[in-house]
Amino acid sequence: MATIVDIAVNNPGFETLVAAVKAANLVETLQGEGPFTVFAPNDDAFAKLPPNTVNNLVQNPPQLGRILCYHVVSGRWDSASLAQLSELTSVEGSPIPIRSHEPLEIKNASVIAADIEASNGIIHVIDNVILMG
Amino acid sequence: MSTTITATLPPSSHVHADVIHRLEAGGSMLPDTPENLMQVIGIYKAYAVPMDFYWRDLLYIAERVFLKPLPLFKYFISKEYLDRHNTYSGDQSPLRVWRGGGEAHPELLEFMAKGESGRKRPRLLHHLGHDRINMEFAEACMRAMFWHVDINPKFNAYLYSDAYKAAADKAIKAYFKGNWAVLGLYKLFPDMFMEQVRQLSYYANLGLFWEVMAPVFFEMSDIYDEGGFATVSDAMDFLVNGIFAVAGRPIYHHVYIGDECFEIIPKSAGMTWLYEAALPYVEAVFYRTTPFRGTKSYDAQAQQVPGEQSDFHYGILYADVFPVGSAGIPPTLLMQDMLHFLPPYLQEYYQEYCRGEDDQLIQLGITFQRSMYNVTSAVIQALRAALYYPLDDPNPQHRQANRRFFEEQMDRLTRSEARLQDIQTADYR
Amino acid sequence: MMLTLLMGLPLLGALALLLFPPAKAKLVALWGAGIPLLWTLWLFSQFDISNSQFQWSEAGAWLPVLGLNYELGMDGLGLLMVALNTLLTWIAIYSARSEIERPRLFYSLMLITSSVISGSFIAQNFLLFFLFYEACLIPLYLLINIWGGEKRSYAATKFLIYTAISGALILISGFGLLWLGGAEDFSYAALADNSLSLKWQVLLLVPLAIGFGIKVPMVPLHTWLPDTYVAASTPVAILLGGVLAKLGTYGLLRFGLSLLPDGWAVVAPWIATWAAITIIYCAFLAIVQQDLKRMVAYSSVSHMGYVLLGSAAGNNLSLSGCIAQMMAHGLVLAILFHLVGVIEAKVGSRDLDQLNGLMNPVRGLPFVSAMLVLGAMASAGIPGLVNFAAEFAVFQGSYRVFPLQTLVGIVGTGLTAVYFVILLNRTCFGRLDSKRAYFPKVSFNEKAPALVLAVLIVVLGVQPNWLMRWSEPTEVKTVVIVPGEHNVSLRDIGGLLLGDSSL
Repeated sequence: MATIVDIAVNNPGFETLVAAVKAANLVETLQGEGPFTVFAPNDDAFAKLPPNTVNNLVQNPPQLGRILCYHVVSGRWDSASLAQLSELTSVEGSPIPIRSHEPLEIKNASVIAADIEASNGIIHVIDNVILMG
Repeated sequence: MSTTITATLPPSSHVHADVIHRLEAGGSMLPDTPENLMQVIGIYKAYAVPMDFYWRDLLYIAERVFLKPLPLFKYFISKEYLDRHNTYSGDQSPLRVWRGGGEAHPELLEFMAKGESGRKRPRLLHHLGHDRINMEFAEACMRAMFWHVDINPKFNAYLYSDAYKAAADKAIKAYFKGNWAVLGLYKLFPDMFMEQVRQLSYYANLGLFWEVMAPVFFEMSDIYDEGGFATVSDAMDFLVNGIFAVAGRPIYHHVYIGDECFEIIPKSAGMTWLYEAALPYVEAVFYRTTPFRGTKSYDAQAQQVPGEQSDFHYGILYADVFPVGSAGIPPTLLMQDMLHFLPPYLQEYYQEYCRGEDDQLIQLGITFQRSMYNVTSAVIQALRAALYYPLDDPNPQHRQANRRFFEEQMDRLTRSEARLQDIQTADYR
Repeated sequence: MMLTLLMGLPLLGALALLLFPPAKAKLVALWGAGIPLLWTLWLFSQFDISNSQFQWSEAGAWLPVLGLNYELGMDGLGLLMVALNTLLTWIAIYSARSEIERPRLFYSLMLITSSVISGSFIAQNFLLFFLFYEACLIPLYLLINIWGGEKRSYAATKFLIYTAISGALILISGFGLLWLGGAEDFSYAALADNSLSLKWQVLLLVPLAIGFGIKVPMVPLHTWLPDTYVAASTPVAILLGGVLAKLGTYGLLRFGLSLLPDGWAVVAPWIATWAAITIIYCAFLAIVQQDLKRMVAYSSVSHMGYVLLGSAAGNNLSLSGCIAQMMAHGLVLAILFHLVGVIEAKVGSRDLDQLNGLMNPVRGLPFVSAMLVLGAMASAGIPGLVNFAAEFAVFQGSYRVFPLQTLVGIVGTGLTAVYFVILLNRTCFGRLDSKRAYFPKVSFNEKAPALVLAVLIVVLGVQPNWLMRWSEPTEVKTVVIVPGEHNVSLRDIGGLLLGDSSL
């Protein structure tokens, strides 16, 4: 089965995410053992951010990495198990609130495609880049 | 847009309901009048010039003066730091916020040379005569951020990490190389030195924060002069965009000893401008700070000072500006600094009200308070955009969440000291 | 001519006012008050300190049938009082609001008042003194009644009635002096040369003391004062409290102590006790006041008690303190009333509950507050300021004679500190109320009078000799006997009043 990174690379609509993961040197990490749960913002989600924001982040990999790590949770959390929770702790360290279960909303992002299985985890596609705070 | 909002959500019952409705319509806490816009932009410009000195000197102290035992000349910034290019202005900037040059602002250089008196004198005389930029204000802000330890958890945790201690240790030993007396002292009291370095890290933190704000304010002034802003919310939106644009800027602390650079907080530590500098700054300086010494007596046993640090409410949003002019308090220092760089239209404006030139210091202080309500509005709107939902979100639950967020923010401004209601009228000046 | 000019110059000023348009009135009035002030300064330079007699005497027959002659003369006491009068007149006119209504009439009346008061200080004839003493009521009545504040006509009438009674009592004593003493006319010299028995001396002193006691005023004859001072506008209040009250103590010194020394010795303990009661009672009244001006008014009455205490003791030191205290009281009261007037004009209130934080450096009234602190410190007798020297001399002199009354008086200075701390704490300190604190600017013209007075208060405080030296010959002349040597008991007085002439 493909890893999280492979799935993102091989599917359309995640070009910005893949570029960001590469820029932040997180490819190896996300190809690792895991398991991880990744909330993956699609290209439309990144497009909602002001252009300078992304450019500036790409120039500063550690800072970009932190934002990306906020989208990653250790463990394999499918939508069924997420339904039992109101909050997750991200790899970045900050909590991710789950504001709604039906439909599933992760912080201020809606899950538009849930439970994409990968060899080292699970991916939920979201329509917004979520930020700490 | 406001019509759809009233259609979907019932009016708020909050005491600041009118302000909340304005925020929900994409406005600012400051009412949208041409007079307010003019005041706010004018004061941003007057603030940006001393700020251009503040950030340079803060970095100079953090990076060069470092642990000098008697830092008598820490405000005597080196030429190198005056010429240092701002990361966000000048033609070498990768993200050019301001169209002007990257070096120190010309008005600042002129003031540093001639001072208030307009006569060229040695820098030492300007310094002793207090005819200079009041760096003490910048340090007071830095100390407020440093002291309110709970507002910056990630940064503070790093200050106590092993990596930080090891890096600081290396820098301390290099800085005092050959100075056996001080090194012996360091052996005896390592924590004392470590705490000093932590404070210097906050110098760097605030310096890097203001390095962004100075060009933002300069650019806003230029746009206004060209007729670019029509409303107060336009000015606020510019700030919101600015906050997003540089949110990911690394916050770091490098120290230069001789030719060697010691990375006490490396960029790779992942500290960001928004989370580790801007938001803590707003919390520490706009909301909390500490009571100013010398303006009022507080009886702590009579609960006149909050028991919890998090309940402190002495920041600019709550401040009584009227004691400005009392010696040595931070607001006086700042207002005095801004007084030297007021744009002509603001000077003329102050002439017409109250005691004219005689109480400009307070009039501009209240203008500054208005302008900081606008900046805080920008922060609130930015946080709303980052953590909540668009203002025109069709989902009523999302609207409700936005409303709750705004109401929570306004809850902080319901205590009697808050000046939110005052700035709603033009008579408060 | 030198002394006639002293009265004539302000009158000329009052006439000159008629020739100028109302817009120029204040300027003309300032000259009208300034020239007599300069004239007084010149008199200081010409005054012969070593001479204990009246100087520059002038005499002319007027109505010899009545014993009324135009006789003028000046000694150290008169010189100081005239100086106080001319100075405070100038200050009062300076401190008047420039937009005052009917300015020409106002300033004319001020100048006439000043002229008449000068006249009473330099008169050498009792009847002449009395004429001046009564004459100044008319312009003052008008000044209070036309330009006063709330309840002005009530206050003016009360003032008129009280002072008229005071005048009647004094006149009784005067006639008594003439007829019983066997003098040919009312000139001081003739009256002094009496051979009145102790009994008659005491009996004549009683109406005299009550009459002047109303003017000073003394408790319980003081009730006209707070109403009058509060109702009067600032310049009039300065004249009333600063100068006019001195007529009372001046009269007691001139007629009581000088002309009836033996009787004075008998009455002195009572006057001292009376003074002590006034000091304490009015200090307590001042403490409970809510109105700034009323507080200063009561403080003024309380402080006149020291003058009386000093005159009662009647020795060289206490008299020297007493005369200095008259000057000090005038200067301090003038600065306080002026500042209260400025505060009222700017803030629009004199209520201690409404005032706060005026010391605020930019939006408050920092200069006014600083001066108010200085004035309060002076009034409380802080060393280095003019009242200290005066009160210290009074206490030192009177302690030997009236230890108990003096101790009570010293407690009174402590109470002064109490009410002035209350006053300063409420008005100057604390937090300026940002809802109301949009006061207009204090102009230089409003600062200048306070500045002049402050300089005098400090300079004369540091060098009190410049104040005390002028009146030394007067004291020597006045102190004929040391009252302490007469051990007059209550029974003796009783016997005296009952006609027992065994004394």
